[in-house]
Amino acid sequence: MKKTLTVNLGGTVFHIDEDAYQLLEKYLSNLRIHFSKEEGVDEVMGDFELRISEILNERVRLGYTVITIEHVEAVIRQMGKVEDIFGEESAHTEATSHETTAQPGRERVNKRFFRNPDDRMLGGVCGGLAAYMGWDPTPIRLLLFLLLFFYGITIPIYLVLWLVVPLAQTATEKLQMRGESVTVENIGKTVTDGFEKMSANVKDYVNSDKPRTAFQKVADAFVEVIGVLLKVAAVLLGIVLFPMLLVLLFVFIVVILALIIGSVGGGFGLLYHLMPSAEWQFLHHYPEWLWAIFSICSILVIALPVIAILYTVCSHIFKFKPFPPALRGALILLWFIALAANIYLLSRYGGTFWDWSHHTWNHTWWSTAFW
Amino acid sequence: MYCMVHLQYIYLGQNIINMYAAENVKSQMRKGTLEYCILLLLKKEAAYTSDIIQKLQEAKLIVVEGTLYPLLTRLKNSELLGYQWVESTQGPPRKYYKLTQKGEFFLNELEASWQDLTNTINHIRNN
Repeated sequence: MKKTLTVNLGGTVFHIDEDAYQLLEKYLSNLRIHFSKEEGVDEVMGDFELRISEILNERVRLGYTVITIEHVEAVIRQMGKVEDIFGEESAHTEATSHETTAQPGRERVNKRFFRNPDDRMLGGVCGGLAAYMGWDPTPIRLLLFLLLFFYGITIPIYLVLWLVVPLAQTATEKLQMRGESVTVENIGKTVTDGFEKMSANVKDYVNSDKPRTAFQKVADAFVEVIGVLLKVAAVLLGIVLFPMLLVLLFVFIVVILALIIGSVGGGFGLLYHLMPSAEWQFLHHYPEWLWAIFSICSILVIALPVIAILYTVCSHIFKFKPFPPALRGALILLWFIALAANIYLLSRYGGTFWDWSHHTWNHTWWSTAFW
Repeated sequence: MYCMVHLQYIYLGQNIINMYAAENVKSQMRKGTLEYCILLLLKKEAAYTSDIIQKLQEAKLIVVEGTLYPLLTRLKNSELLGYQWVESTQGPPRKYYKLTQKGEFFLNELEASWQDLTNTINHIRNN
């Protein structure tokens, strides 16, 4: 006995098995992700739905009152797997970009580092790395956990990887993550795999191919406990940090405002006007162009990571497209240049400023807002 | 012995690469001519997507239906094709695609350049 659902596909109502529905849903959403780069996504998807509805209608007329998973599989075969439809376009670019790295005797595989959505504790970074290297994820997790005791090195590394490395979403990306070649058979396997994984326990699936030794089981359990503890800690930290974040946001806005005014140059009069109680005297110790450079660099150093974090959070919630890699690289480079420039400026000119600001420490606390 | 095995692997690898390259060129050729073929098919009469697909599959130009939908929408968006909804007795209404005026001009240009291309290839092949 199976549960069925009622769906409206291209204006026709179908009774469809739950598993068949999930497969069809996955297929359509995968298509939509791929088409999202093109204009007229909705129209193309509408065409697909109409055609699928027509094919399924034929089955209904043949006497099948319920659409089963076999019907949906037949439909996908007829319409083509997502990668069949897009394969030709991507095959060309991959072939040209990997011409030089080709090794004779080995099938060329386009391997990429993705975060693994099917094997994750927090962000799927370790799972992705394990899939990429072909290792077991547990030792990697243990290593990262141990590194936590060396000045917490793990935290920045993990956060940066979480932000920079994309999540493997489509079947192609999951195959590339594991370094398997993107062939029709593999895609088919992945699409059905992913579908099975939705209902089955992930851990069972991941470890199904070989039995785990007792030691590995202990390590797995240990990592599992640590993962849960880390999650709890992160939530608690979030609750504690939230008011502080609000204060920080306010300070951040004030600083950015002041920096923008500073970068425009000559706007110092405005600063006096905005905050008369503040001590703005120190601004005149340096030429305006220096302030302009310093301000622009500071804005970049502060704002770029903030924007990046905001964008990443938003892209998870609203399904934005991630930045193209070239743009991301350029922004990271820009950030480092700005940081370097600021460090240089501070070490070159900061000393005198420091003395001066110490001198006026008791005058007002506002001047310390810049420190 | 080791050397022989090794050589064999290199040979095998080279074969795979060659096959891959040939497949790639073939698929590029198919892709290049696909739009031209669609316009040719629609020149005589308006047709339903399934009919177009069937003809293209007979000619082994496409394998799966899905390839065609984005292509037709792209051609429609560049105003080379237009469509109208036609009622169907067997289900939802169907889109019938037809060549527009602009599409006809475009097709004539393509015909000319196709002629050029075949002439060039014949010329090179025969000399």
